Amino acid sequence: MTIDDLPGELILWVLIVSELAVFMAGVSVMVILGLLDPEGFATAQSQLDGRMAALNTVVLVTSGLFAARAERDAAHGRPRAARRGLLLAALGGVVFLIVKGVEYAHDIQAGIGIDSHPFFTFYYLLSGFHAAHVIAGIVVLLLVAYRAASAPVQAGAMFWHMVDLIWVMILPAVWLIW
Amino acid sequence: MIMDVLTKTWALLIGLTAATAALAGVSGRLAVILVLALAFLKARLILGRFLHLGAAPGWLAAFTLPIGIWFLVTGVGYALLVR
Repeated sequence: MTIDDLPGELILWVLIVSELAVFMAGVSVMVILGLLDPEGFATAQSQLDGRMAALNTVVLVTSGLFAARAERDAAHGRPRAARRGLLLAALGGVVFLIVKGVEYAHDIQAGIGIDSHPFFTFYYLLSGFHAAHVIAGIVVLLLVAYRAASAPVQAGAMFWHMVDLIWVMILPAVWLIW
Repeated sequence: MIMDVLTKTWALLIGLTAATAALAGVSGRLAVILVLALAFLKARLILGRFLHLGAAPGWLAAFTLPIGIWFLVTGVGYALLVR
């Protein structure tokens, strides 16, 4: 087990570990507060629409498949197929953001604000920060799609899988367990 | 038709997501622990297959061990302190 065994650029793994640490810290604080006030967190969480989160999980995971296929196509010298995969992955990101926007609009109409309850403070912070990563990921995917060369496509796909991974890790505490 | 490894990974992730959704309406400690276990499995699949750590000796464990401990601590904390 050496650093050289890691796939892709080392700096991307530094980024992935850093981002995971930030989100895990945020979720940990949320969980600690939730353990101190489980009934309040359960009441707050029950106001969210978990179907939106489930739909977005399917969208993001499917988008991740397109990114992974694009990475494989780029590595095999198929830039047109890679470009198509990257564009489909980016489209998945756009769909994710639309669903997220609908969810936020519904929450705000229901009177749920960032200061309504500590649960919602973390809900907006964690999901909003994640959505910012989705926006960044879409930009990265579109940038690497321009030339669709192997190394940049791999880097773009790795960033996108990181966004997917973070989503999977914040999902239980924000939408499911309380 | 034989699915390639990427499509298999996607199908597994969708299956785990469906199982998570099925548990969403279930209350109780066991359901929470299962939800956390499913989240861990999804994270491991993404790391191992999509991020290729399965082909990097030792690195998949290096990533999944702390993530697994983190989910475990969350589950144990929930089981001990809630309801």
